[in-house]
Amino acid sequence: MLELKDIECRYGKISAVRGLSLEVKEGEFVTLIGANGAGKTTTLKCISGLLPAAKGTITFQGKDISNAPAADILAMGIGHCPEGRRVFPYMSVEENLEMGCYLRKDKDAIHEDMEQLFDRFPVLKERRKQAAGTLSGGEQQMLAISRALMSRPKLVLFDEPSLGLAPNLVDRMFQIVRDIRDQGVTVLMVEQNAYAALELCDHAYVLESGEVTLKGTGSELLENPNVREAYLGT
Amino acid sequence: MDQLLQHALNATILGGTYALLGIGLTMIFGIMKIVNFTHGELYTFGAYMMFFFVMVLGTNFFLGLVMAIALGLLLGALIELALLRPLRDADIDTTMLVMIGAWIALQNTQQFTWTGIAKSINTPFPLDPLVIGSVSVSWSRVFVFVVAIMMIIGTHMLIHHTRLGKAMRATFQDRDTAALMGVKINRIYTATFALGSGLAAAAGALLAPIFVVYPTMGDAVAAKSFAIVILGGLGNFWGAAIGGFILAFAEEFGAGYISSGYRDAMGFILIILILIFRPTGLFAQRERIG
Repeated sequence: MLELKDIECRYGKISAVRGLSLEVKEGEFVTLIGANGAGKTTTLKCISGLLPAAKGTITFQGKDISNAPAADILAMGIGHCPEGRRVFPYMSVEENLEMGCYLRKDKDAIHEDMEQLFDRFPVLKERRKQAAGTLSGGEQQMLAISRALMSRPKLVLFDEPSLGLAPNLVDRMFQIVRDIRDQGVTVLMVEQNAYAALELCDHAYVLESGEVTLKGTGSELLENPNVREAYLGT
Repeated sequence: MDQLLQHALNATILGGTYALLGIGLTMIFGIMKIVNFTHGELYTFGAYMMFFFVMVLGTNFFLGLVMAIALGLLLGALIELALLRPLRDADIDTTMLVMIGAWIALQNTQQFTWTGIAKSINTPFPLDPLVIGSVSVSWSRVFVFVVAIMMIIGTHMLIHHTRLGKAMRATFQDRDTAALMGVKINRIYTATFALGSGLAAAAGALLAPIFVVYPTMGDAVAAKSFAIVILGGLGNFWGAAIGGFILAFAEEFGAGYISSGYRDAMGFILIILILIFRPTGLFAQRERIG
């Protein structure tokens, strides 16, 4: 479904990602794990068109999307739930969700989708008129996830959905991501919480200094002694 | 007492256009973070376009007003496209210098085109003023006020209740995330700058028939617009609207009761006082647009 071939991404002269290749098949749950600064977020930004790829190609459903505008990539079906939630703080919960379906025109279906999300996260319904910046971290993350789903994506990129959340909420977030995948949405997730990510995913890639150093199924990597030592602390 | 009421009425009417100027600049300076020195020139441009349509071409007064505002929007869009888009991620000093250059260039172009001789514009309104009890106001001022209030409400509706307005707010709250939502960021920058500029041109076109039109008329207006925006709190829509009225009252009452020679100074004295006691402006950022 999504294929990155030999991608290089630069911030000025410094390349944050080099020679990265990965593949996400339809219906899969794939994770990228790695330390801070390994290039995980950069990779996601490159896929969704926020950063240009200096080299390499990205194809989605057979079409070349390398360096396509962000709006076109979203329209093709790639949603992105960014790192640190990034809700629009001075806009209401409802307006944040409306921004999620900015490109959609099907009013009735939008309304249905919003009601469904409200059923799933009743707290968002309670606070629909409240400024998103006043929500708690967990609520903001639910909003950010819901907002990403409002575009009815075929593939969602999750960037550290557990970042900065209380431990009980971390599990809840992973469960939510898992549910989304079970509903038929393909997932590419970046996580520092390697153990949880590997347990949930089908396939995983380990990123170090902008390069893929290991890949395999989640359970393979959980067994891998290097991964255990570097990322799982055992 | 009559004098007081008359001053209050004059201030209210002047405040409407100050509010337009303030809202226009708070969108550009408060939200887009562009120190926009061309704001006063857009005001002048609106005034000259009004002169051009009504007095040179003989266009209908109201149609001339619409055209002047439309051309103000267009000039704003052009400034954004030609000067600001290439400097999108440049630091504030660079942008500021370029905008000072644009200010000088625009002012001199207007002087070159229209010469330095002040122009006046005829209005279709009756010359007899509207008399309400002991106070009176000219019909052309009533018209200016009504249109200004309608434009303020219209702009508020646009920002808060339309798809474009939501995209604007989202863009200036978090540019990258707005892009992830499918917002075409460049278009939003152009639209916002054009809208802010259009409001300045509207204020100029509205006031031109009341005052006279001359090339440097925008300078004091630009300074006052910055004062209004700072007074109301950066990026605060209603703050800018209310700030516009406060400035108008300060000027009108200062000129009326203290000294008319210090009319333009009153507003700035007030702003110095407010900033001493409330450095973030009168209103908190709660109502921020972006």
